Parts: sequence; structure tokens; C-alpha cells
Amino acid sequence: METDSDTITQDSASEAAAARWIDCLARISADRDLVAYKALFDHFAPLIKSFAYKIPSLQESETFGEDLVQETMLKVWTRASTFDPGLSSPGTWIFTIARNMRIDLLRKQARHSVNTVSLYQDDDDSSELDMEDIWFEDETSDVFNLLLQERTRKQVNESLLTLPPEQADILRRVYLEDKSHSEVAAELHLPLGTVKSRVRLALNKLKLVVDR
Amino acid sequence: MVKYHPDVRYLTDYSAGSLPQSQALCVATHLHYCNSCKARVRELNELGTVLFTRQQPVAVESAAFDNLLSRIHSDADHKPEQPASVPSRDSARQSTQSTLPRAIAKLCKDNLDSLNWQSIGKQFRFAQLKLGDRQRETSLLHIKAGGAVPRHRHRGDEITVVLQGSFSDQEDKYNIGDFIVRTHGEIHRPVASQDEDCLCLSTLDAPIQMSNWLLRLLMPFFNKQPGQRSASFG
Repeated sequence: METDSDTITQDSASEAAAARWIDCLARISADRDLVAYKALFDHFAPLIKSFAYKIPSLQESETFGEDLVQETMLKVWTRASTFDPGLSSPGTWIFTIARNMRIDLLRKQARHSVNTVSLYQDDDDSSELDMEDIWFEDETSDVFNLLLQERTRKQVNESLLTLPPEQADILRRVYLEDKSHSEVAAELHLPLGTVKSRVRLALNKLKLVVDR
Repeated sequence: MVKYHPDVRYLTDYSAGSLPQSQALCVATHLHYCNSCKARVRELNELGTVLFTRQQPVAVESAAFDNLLSRIHSDADHKPEQPASVPSRDSARQSTQSTLPRAIAKLCKDNLDSLNWQSIGKQFRFAQLKLGDRQRETSLLHIKAGGAVPRHRHRGDEITVVLQGSFSDQEDKYNIGDFIVRTHGEIHRPVASQDEDCLCLSTLDAPIQMSNWLLRLLMPFFNKQPGQRSASFG
């Protein structure tokens, strides 16, 4: 149904689907409804796995994708009651959990590999912060926000396909492949300023960032 | 009124999750004081969501859902949280919002005095924060009212966010919430305003083998590698 990643028809379908995912999360929260959970899983798990393998260095890893699916979907189960449809869409909520869990898994892996080299005595000095202390969900719930978010999503969906390929490519690298601007610049052998301006042009085109 | 904001590069990398933890902490701290950047991040998160949902799905292993169910059934920790049992963001917020951003409050356990402060002279002290980011050093800096930070040259890029009070350098005056980036090689000498102590969060790109802010601060004067001595973390 929604297997083609580049069709516009997906937009309206996903708008309609949002209502369904909101209902699923409410049923998990109220009744621990496994049917609702399975429906969410079937839709989002393959996207989460895809998101995991966008990181080039992990494409050889056999477990990373499944691990990210497990950890993210487990959080969806335990946190379902904290989902607030007045705060974000289900898609945004699950995306931010997947993003945070990916950061978390990557960090654990990095720590593990540092440990094996044993460069440091204080290797277990992991941060005292959880990902969610830094990448927190927005805490203010109001209808105005939600309307803005919906409008933004629509705008982005509509104008994403009109971006010049090099701008769309950079957005994908930044958002999906876990690369900072500096890393993208190094990879494409471009000056940091060029990457910054391409991102800025893309965001302007998506009407996301209006220069102050 | 916040005047200096992170540029789009920082906000985008923050929203995408690729910003190093220490720099992300600086952005999150700025967001605590700045609603307009918060709104921008919210928009950028929507962009991330659109890109996420447009991906080509990748089939998961057939046993994946059953594995998940057995974890859910076997472990009491994986029960759905009830709204009441979720550590209330509201209560956490009430105790800290008026003073410190959430992550900073957590790092110092709501008590700045609990940090391991090291003084340089009588006007300036700093406390290193423990983050899982080895490429950078992150500290809280405290300058007494009217006091100055020792003049120093930046060896890496530094981000500073003002948490309390204000400070000035040769270019401008910076107030609560301001997000200031200084790049490699710049020399500056921040001075706190006369009427109030100044508290800042600072993160500095650092060579991995050196772990002491003070040593690096003084480096330009000694211009040689310190021994292998590594400074203690609180």
C-alpha cells in the first residue's frame, strides 16, 4: 500500500492513517491492546529498520536494524500513555523515539569499541544524562501548535519533490544518515559553507526557516 | 530577550540527532530560554518525520514481533506506564524551570554546589560536566560580578550559553539564553556585568588526550604538552 517512498498520494493516506495510529496508541494505553500494537508494529517497524540502515557504517551489521526496531517499539508500548495527540502526531512521536534510540544504540556501540581498545581508565564514565534529557519532547501542548505542525508537514510533503536533487540529497544525509553538517561536507569534499547554504536553501524552499 | 541564536546548522543537526551530545546540550539549554528556536526545532522535526515516513520500508524478521511480546510479558519493567507513574515532566519542570534547564539541573542534582568547582583566581571558577562525549569538554563557568575570565586563545571552537547574569567581551554584551560561538584562534576576555554573577555553559572542541580545561586554558602560556596526568572528574 504505502511501499513507494516517492509518491505524493501517500500524503493524504498518511493524514488519514494518523487518526488510526492515534486510536491504536489510545487502545494500547487503556487496554494493552495487542491487536492495536501489532497494527502499529506492522506499519512502523519496517520504517524504523530502514532508518537504522541509513547509516552507512552499519549496513554490514546484522543486528542493528532489528535491535533498533525492538528498542523503539518497546518504548512505544511502555510510553503509549504519555502520547498526547494535542502535542504531536503519532508519526512525529515515533520518529523522535526512533531517533533518540538510534543515538543511544550508537553511543553504546561506540563505548563498547572504545573499551576493547582500552585507551582509557575511566571507560565506564558514561554520561549521567539520558538522551531524553537533551532531545526532549516539547512540553507545551496546545491546539495552535498542532495546527502549525500539520501545516508544516503538508508544506514539506508538497514541496519536497520540487527540491533540486543536490538539496534533497543533503537533507536526506543530514536527517536519515546521522551525519552532521561537518561530516557531510567531508564526505562530499565540499566546504562546510556550501553544505550550510544548500541546507538553508532547501529549508527556505520548504518554507521551514525564514531568515531572522 | 535572547539576541544570539544557534544558526540553522546547529538546529538542523540537533533535530536530526547528529549533533554531538555536548553541543546538543548547549542547543537544548538555549531552547529552554528561546521559544522562537523551539518553534523552529518543532518544524524541523516535522521535516524529519516526513523524510522518515517516505523511506522505503525494510522487512523485519518474522520472529520480531513475537520476540517483542515475550520481552513485554517476561519483564515487569516493560509494563505500560500509567500517566501517574510516569515521572512527571510537570513536577520536574516546576522545581527547575525558574532556574536551570532540565539537563543541567539533572547533572548537578538541582544543586550547583554539588559540582566539583575548580577556581582560577578569585573571580573565576569552573566545573566540568560528565558527558559521554570525549571529543569535547563541557563545563559550567562561574564569573563573579565584575570579574573576568583569564584572557585565553581558543584552540578549538567553543559554544557558550548564558544561564544567569550576563557578560561582555570586546564585541557585545550577552544575556540569559544567548548562544555564542567562538572559533579557533580567537582571543577573548569575557567580563561579567557589575551587578550580578554570571553562570555559563561552555563546550570546547578538545584534543582527546587532554582532559583538563584549566591546562588547556593555560596552554598558550606554557606552550608544551602537559604530562600524562589526567584531571579527575568530580
